[in-house]
This record gives sequence, C-alpha cells and structure tokens, in this order.
Amino acid sequence: MTEVKLSIGYDEFEEGQRIGTEIEKLSNSPESSSLTSLIIGDWGQAYENSSEEVVEALVTHSASFPALRKLFIGEMDSEECEISWITQSDLSPLLPAFPELQSLTIQGGNELSLAELKHDKLEELIIISGGLSKTVLENIAASQLPNLRKLELYLGVDDYGFDGGLADLLPLIEVGKFPKLTYLGLKNSQIQDEIAGALANAPILDQLDTLDLSLGILSDEGAELLLASDRIKGLKALNLSHHYMSDEMINRWKQSGLPVDVSDKQESDDEEDWRYPSITE
Amino acid sequence: MMRKTGVILPSQSEPLMRPMIVIGIPGDKRTSGIQQARSDLGMPPAIILSYAEFLQGRSLGDLMEEQKKQLSSQSSVYNGIDLSAAPPLLRLESPGSSFEVERALIALGAPDSDDIDDSLHPYAERPDPRPLRVKVARQLNDMQGVLHHPSQWFRGYCRMLARLQREAKAACPGSLWLNDPADIVAMTDKRQTQKILSEAGLPIPRPVGEDQQPTDYASLREMMLSRRMHRVFIKLAFGSAASGVIAYQIHPVTGAEIALTTVGVENYITRPPIYYNSGKLRRYTDTATISGIFNWIYRHGAYAEQWIPKAGLKGKAFDIRQLVVLREACHAIARVSPTPITNLHLRNQRMSLSEAGLSEPIQEQVRNTAVQALAAFPHSGVAGIDVLVSGGSQQCFVADVNPFGDLLYDVKYRGCSTYEWEMKVLSARDYITHPSTPLIKEGSS
Repeated sequence: MTEVKLSIGYDEFEEGQRIGTEIEKLSNSPESSSLTSLIIGDWGQAYENSSEEVVEALVTHSASFPALRKLFIGEMDSEECEISWITQSDLSPLLPAFPELQSLTIQGGNELSLAELKHDKLEELIIISGGLSKTVLENIAASQLPNLRKLELYLGVDDYGFDGGLADLLPLIEVGKFPKLTYLGLKNSQIQDEIAGALANAPILDQLDTLDLSLGILSDEGAELLLASDRIKGLKALNLSHHYMSDEMINRWKQSGLPVDVSDKQESDDEEDWRYPSITE
Repeated sequence: MMRKTGVILPSQSEPLMRPMIVIGIPGDKRTSGIQQARSDLGMPPAIILSYAEFLQGRSLGDLMEEQKKQLSSQSSVYNGIDLSAAPPLLRLESPGSSFEVERALIALGAPDSDDIDDSLHPYAERPDPRPLRVKVARQLNDMQGVLHHPSQWFRGYCRMLARLQREAKAACPGSLWLNDPADIVAMTDKRQTQKILSEAGLPIPRPVGEDQQPTDYASLREMMLSRRMHRVFIKLAFGSAASGVIAYQIHPVTGAEIALTTVGVENYITRPPIYYNSGKLRRYTDTATISGIFNWIYRHGAYAEQWIPKAGLKGKAFDIRQLVVLREACHAIARVSPTPITNLHLRNQRMSLSEAGLSEPIQEQVRNTAVQALAAFPHSGVAGIDVLVSGGSQQCFVADVNPFGDLLYDVKYRGCSTYEWEMKVLSARDYITHPSTPLIKEGSS
C-alpha cells in the first residue's frame, strides 16, 4: 500500500502555497498511478477556508489516481486547527469521481454535507466531528451505500453543531438500510444513554460484529439497558470506553463475560480543582 | 603554573577549585539535589544561603560569615577551602516555591520600599498597576496558586538581584556568577528573552506586533486580525511553568474565540477578581472572561507570539526541554501533551526525544538551537531551553529560556542526573563568565 499525506501549514499558506496545486503536482507524479491511500491534512487555515478546493482538485484529477481506495479529508490535530472549527463543504462529488473507493474518512463537521451519497463499493464511512449536523444525518439516511460494512460517526455536542436527536439516528439503524453493515459506531455523543437505550434491543444488532458507543457520556442508565439486552450477546466487540459509569456497573460488565471495553472511566467535573504555585519546574 | 593542554587535573590538587555558594531555599528539592550530587561525587558541600534571610535584611557578607563558621567546625568536609584564595562560584536558585519569599519580593517591589534600585528592571519606568505598599504586601495571605501581583513581584525580584550583585562584589571579590543576575532578569522577562534571542538571529515564534506590542485585549485582537495571525500564545511576561500562559485563537470569519489556559478566575461583587493557577486546563469561549484575563495580564506585562503547530505523536503535541551546561547540550526530554500547553506539572507525559519520534538530525538541530540560545546570554552557564519543533517543516524555534530549568527528574546524560552532571562539568572546568575566555583553560606550554 502506498500512502501520501498533503498538508499546507500556516506559513506555507501565507506564502501562497495552495492545496489545489499540491494535488495537481501529485497527480503529475509517477507515484500517482499506484497510490492507494491519500490523506489530505490541513488545506491551509481550515478554520477559514473550506475544503471545496480539495474536492474540486481531486475531482479534476481523479483519473490520475486509479488505485486509490482510501481517502481521508481533514486529518489535522488541534495544534493545526480545532476539530470543531474545521470548515468542510459538500464532499459528495468525490464519490462518483472515485468509483473504486472503499474507505472515506472525514474530519470536521462545519458546513459538511454529503448531498448525493451514492456509491456501490464504499465499505467504510467515518466522520469525526465535534458536532455533526442533522443535515449530514439526513444525508446518510438517504444514502445508497449497498456495500457499507463500517459506519462510524462522532456525533459530538450541540455547542459544536450537533443539532439532531435520537429521531435522526433511528433511520440509520433500520434493518435493510445497510445490509452488509457489521461495525456500527455512534460515539462521542452527549445523548449516549439514549442511543444505548435505542440500540439495546434493535434488530440491527443481529447483523453486527461490533458496536462502538465509546467517547460519549454513557452512564449507568444507558449501560443498564444494554446489559439487560439479549441481543448484545451476539457481538464480538462492544466498545464503551471513555464513560461515566459507576464502579459497580463496571464490575457487572466485567463479570458478564461479554467482550466489552469499559476502560477510561471519566470523573464528573466537580472533581477537586488543584492549584499550583507559579514556579514549579 | 604549568599545565598540559587538555588535561583536567584531579580536583583535590586543583588550586582553583571554587567553592560553590547557592542562594536558594534551604532544604527544597533544588538545594537538596545539589548537595546530594556533590556528596555523591565526593565534593565538599555547597554553602547554602537563604533567600528568606537575605530578604529579611541580612547582608550577603553576614550570611556567608555565619555559614563559613558553621562549616569550619566540620573541617573534614571543607578542609583547605579558603574563599579568599579561590573566589566562589555563586549560583542563584529559583525563589519560587516559598510563599514567604514571594511575599517578601512583592514587598521589596513596593513603591515605598527602602531599596528602589531598579537598575536591572528592563521596563523600570512602566508603573505597576495598583501597587501594594510594603505594609499591605507583608500581610498577603498564602492562597494556593493565586497570582499575587506579578509585576510588583518582578520589580521586587529585580531589586533583590541588583542587591545581590552589589553585595557580592563587596563580600566576595573575584567571585563568579554561574548565571549573572542581569541574565536571570532577561531570561525571566519573556519580552526581553525574545528580544535578545531575535537579535542574536535565533529562530523564535513571530511576535504579535514587531515594533508595537498589543497592550490589551482589544489591541491584541485588532493586531491578530490585521496581521492574519489567528492563533497565538499569550504569556505573562514573567511567569514561569505555564503560569499565565494562554493558547488563544480567533475565528476570522465568525469572530468566535477560544482561550485555553490554566488561569482560573474567582469573581467577586465588591472587589477585583482573583486570578490563580489551576491544575486543570480551562477552555474559555466567552468574551467577558477572556477579555478580563487578558486585560489583567497585559496590565502587568505580557508577550504574545505566533502559535507554531508543534510536532505531534498520536494526536498529542510536544515540545522539548533541553538543558545546556557550559555550552554543551546534555539532558533533554520531550513533554508530550494532549493540549497545547506542555508543562510537566500539568500531568503531561515525558519521553525521550527518540520515543517522541524525532530523528537524529532533528535532535542535533534541537541541541544546536539550545546551545546557541544560551550563548545569547554570554554571562550564563546553565539554562533549560524550551525548543519547539514545528509539525510541518520540522524547524526548531526557541520558546523559552529557563534560568532554573534544570530540575528534571529521572533523566540521565552520560549516566548522570542533571545536578551530578553540572557539578562534574563545573569542577572540571574553571568557569569564567567572560565570553571570550575559553571554558577549559589550556596551558600555554
């Protein structure tokens, strides 16, 4: 597998470098024809400029990347741009441009849409955000992705753009929507308990290997409903890491014999705030 | 006297083996660390003088006489050291972990202080906001983490260093400073540090406003937007260890803002808010709180610079603390953090540079940058340099020069702890502060 990451730093952008030009350069390079994975990092001050230029350039030059199977749009850490400030755009034109694509990862939820989400071969869709909009959830609900095996959504909080609710997620877990789905991640959510409750006895569990409800604010309330479900017993992995469950609940999970990850317990925010003197190092 | 080139004589026959006088907090980690290292190396103990006693008005000469008397009764450990024959090496330690000292320094910085020698203060004429008179300063209560009047503390600190410098000339003629008090002032004031580094041609994060620095929240925002520098670090000019450091960003389109800092605020109806160092990193997004903190910090003195995206490892960012002792880079650690603020006491991880994924050429670049940074302070022998490696270009930048940056645990260089290494190097080389003098004296024959 060959992988390339393109990224434009702050200074490079100020000096006039552009992601479109970098993509074009890559498309003219000999390695483009064998490239299987392309990562687009910061396209230049992504808190201000949207990913539209990335989409346009990739669509224009898609014929130069016949082997491309994996695409990541927006791989940047908080040193480059806060996830909640990354400005995306409508990424759906990428799908017809790369008919052989198998995996699409998107980071950043601002202005993101996937208006025409249709692809015959896409197996993996991952969206990492601080807050996913209802529009994107509707796009996914209206999508045609018959080969999708893994759907992983970081739902986030309303402060950063999560404006949906449980009702917007229910169409995604209807049996038949994604007939080949085996990995479902509805994670990083402020309504993790509600999601756990809705999934506990959802028929879609019967087709899943992995249910990932990690990184959210899951408490004993949601955990209780999951634990009481017979359907979760067929899972090969249940990821509940980063949670707010009690020690007692954690023990019950451990004794359940289920393949569950209950690591990374969070303390609620009223933990003692320690202070430090000014010269300590 | 005949010496062979490059041969370092055993210390017992070294006539210029200087005794070391440390001015610090007796019994704290630093002074104890130094004594432990000296004892392990079979060296006579350093003479430890107390900041607290010095600030109570005792003269340096007095304190030294007293210590010498005590030491002369232990002839076995201190035999043969005559301070007049071999003038001592003077070493200042951090005054920071003692509230008693902090309070005395704030009192010394008061407008009605009886010692108003501001000759070392780089911005002496700039008044401190709402200064506390000596009597009020002496009544300050120890409230853990509270940032008591930073600019007055700094003024007091400069006055104390000026007095130490003055008295050392009289009390121990011929003595040498390991780090000269004037350099310690310049390293402590970040505005000065960055100016000196920049003039020496060292790479530093670009300041917000070259000639004209912002003076408050409004002018900072205005300059950031007009210069399209949307992410900056703001630092209390004389804070240490993440004290008063803020990672700040503004969204050029929406105007939204995020300030990440350990500065906490306690608000009151009838009196001004209290600012303190919180052990938790806080995230402020409301203008009222952010502008309150910024205006307070700017009134005391602040420095703002470009936020360089740091090199990272698995979603975490790091910077490097590189110790330099007498022109040689030695101990180094990467401070790895899930947040932009990397200081170790915020429970951040520490790693070797290789573990952090830095290639040998980049590590070499880090060491060279650090050595050059200390060389910009030619009258100083030891400092911990904070070096950033930018995530994109892997270029090195000097973020900070810490005159007391050698309190590093569990890191060895050639088998030595930081203090052991310093003591070894100092005993092997006769340390002369003058920049043009070679550090290892070589015989002329």
